[in-house]
Amino acid sequence: MMSGMTEMEENLQRPVKNSELEQPLLLIGNPNNRRTLGLQEARQRLGLQPALVLPYARLLKIWRQGGTIANALQQCLEGRGTTYTQGEPWVSSPTLMSYANHDSAHGVKSVPLIRIDAPGEEWEVERELLFLGAVKDISPLTDSLSASMIPAAQTLTLEQEWGRIYAPNQWFRGWKACLERIAREAQEYWPNARFMNDPHDIAIMFDKRKCQQHLSAHGVHVPPTLQSSELISNYEDLRTAMKTAGMNRVFVKLACGSGASGVVAYQINPQTGAEIAITTVGMERVQGEIIFYNEGRMRRYTRTSEISALMDWLCAEGAQIERWMAKATYGSSVFDIRQLVAGGQAAHAVVRLSQTPITNLHLRNERLLPVEAGLDEHQMDGVQKEAKAAMAAFPNSWSAGIDVMLSAGTEPRAYILDVNPFGDLLYRVQHNGLGTYEWEMELLRKEPHNHAGYEHHRRLP
Amino acid sequence: MQEVKLTVSYDDYEDGIRMEKLIRELAAKPEAGSLESLIIGDWGQAYENSPDEFMGTLTGLASSFPSLKKLFIGDMGFEECEVSWIIQTNLTPLLVAFPELKSFTVKGSSGLSLEPIEHAKLEELIIICGGLPKSVLASISRAKLPELRKLELYLGVDNYGFDGSLEDVLPLLEQGLFPKLVYLGLKDSEIQDEIAKAAAEAPILDQLEILDLSEGTLSDEGAEALLASDKIKKLKHLNLSYHYMSDEMLIRWKRSSGISVDVSEQQQSDEDDWRYPSLTE
Repeated sequence: MMSGMTEMEENLQRPVKNSELEQPLLLIGNPNNRRTLGLQEARQRLGLQPALVLPYARLLKIWRQGGTIANALQQCLEGRGTTYTQGEPWVSSPTLMSYANHDSAHGVKSVPLIRIDAPGEEWEVERELLFLGAVKDISPLTDSLSASMIPAAQTLTLEQEWGRIYAPNQWFRGWKACLERIAREAQEYWPNARFMNDPHDIAIMFDKRKCQQHLSAHGVHVPPTLQSSELISNYEDLRTAMKTAGMNRVFVKLACGSGASGVVAYQINPQTGAEIAITTVGMERVQGEIIFYNEGRMRRYTRTSEISALMDWLCAEGAQIERWMAKATYGSSVFDIRQLVAGGQAAHAVVRLSQTPITNLHLRNERLLPVEAGLDEHQMDGVQKEAKAAMAAFPNSWSAGIDVMLSAGTEPRAYILDVNPFGDLLYRVQHNGLGTYEWEMELLRKEPHNHAGYEHHRRLP
Repeated sequence: MQEVKLTVSYDDYEDGIRMEKLIRELAAKPEAGSLESLIIGDWGQAYENSPDEFMGTLTGLASSFPSLKKLFIGDMGFEECEVSWIIQTNLTPLLVAFPELKSFTVKGSSGLSLEPIEHAKLEELIIICGGLPKSVLASISRAKLPELRKLELYLGVDNYGFDGSLEDVLPLLEQGLFPKLVYLGLKDSEIQDEIAKAAAEAPILDQLEILDLSEGTLSDEGAEALLASDKIKKLKHLNLSYHYMSDEMLIRWKRSSGISVDVSEQQQSDEDDWRYPSLTE
């Protein structure tokens, strides 16, 4: 195993001696998923203490039972279901709370950093978020209730039907309430703690409508949004708004959807009135009610009855509607780029190819490194510049996976499609010999204070 | 400068840039004189705008491109315009304006006409579309193209403009229509079996080197006729890729020695046993 090891890798194996000076990391996430394990492995390779993992399931349950984040963490520290895999937790005694409050004695370096990670892929967590989203008046951040509300009492016993998209607006209300409460309680119990990505920023990044407005207001290139004087609340409104704007091709995106979930490429032929909606959203009528679910393959709807049902639902749940611009091509595929930005630096990048307008479908789409896809330095400069500009619009956040498209044509321009606060889970791509988590942790170790909320963010000139 | 592709991107179109301007700029460059291949890509909202916007400019400036051998009108992807939505026009003036042309490719068939088709030097004619109107098929069967070596037609489906039947395709299987023709592509058809059966013993096979029946709904029915034909065995290559033949039929093709045949991209019928050609979107 040692043979063929690079210098960088050897450095990574070397344990760090002064670990007490290390910035402790609290990870709020789902233990044992690829994200958490990937991050812990990266920390281990770098000789950093493992992050203390606070599982969402535990946090949300304790909240529901009237407790706080401090109670949840206390439970973790007492070993009840502790989730760190090996070694001592970064703080055993006294508790995190006293540790964090003693930063004047320990120096600023011991101030813990909190990483909020993705809540997805765990049904228990999904149910708790739906529950949280069903409770009224929890948050000034949240919007009006959607039509497809699941009553609070039902949420916790909800059985998972694979692929089904449950009340996305309600889920999002719950998720925003969760973020807000983490922010509030963290401020209360550990006033010196810092977030890797600010919870309020995460809420904005997650909301495609707000995020695109926010980026646009900061001068970042984004696809033009379909403007309408009236709220677009259903299919008829959408048709009218498209006609008025002369915008015949749009993406309709579930405001809080992640990945390809709830994304529709929709176009109307102004000559014939024909319409086509391309999406992974499947629809099924069950006892008079339409069930929406994620399908692994692309669907193509051309019947108005189907398209109107789809659009009615998306608009009611909240949708970002933007111009569908032709993306740059590689061979017969179109592509966009997932660009990781952390600490003001653009690093890992993956080109996502597709034979459909939707590039971020995980199951089938081919991925290439930029150089493999024939992207030259000039083009990647444009991508990275725009991605860093997008990140700079969130000065209190440190890292995001930014989706960037290049427009078709001889002089491609970079547009920001999405800012993913948890977009650092990227496989098979390295930067300076490091995977995404290793690179991020190395950056944090080297420059623990070059972090949003501490000093500055790197505004572009 | 060998090949140039002109595309009006989204940004360009919003900025008021039109294909006409790009053609003028290209014609003004000194390299225009040596340009051999010109590809006209998206001219901007091609589901609404036809090439009429720039046709006059291109034909008018034909003398600026004395070396042009290849011309492609409408090279755009689904992100720019659905194939069946691309609006074409009568493109015959281009054949007149470029008498030195050897290769002419068109994508999109909505509003397309080529009447009459006459060209002394054209060697290659390719029409890519979701459905080819029978009026265009008729024009081709009346065409005067003494040098034509390759004819490749996407026939498509009736939903997207194919309003013909086998009767409209049959004239293209006559021998001697294009005396130098060695490559015939009758592809992407929803009546691919009928075409295969008609083509299997067609006199034109005696002059062909390559028969291309790919991208369509070919099943074992059409394949049986092809396998049984001695004329097919004499071809240099038979392209049947993207098809609905059975596994058993694929084994039979494998065992039929001496035939160079492409049977890749086997398709499965959908739940309702519908079979779709490749380019039906």
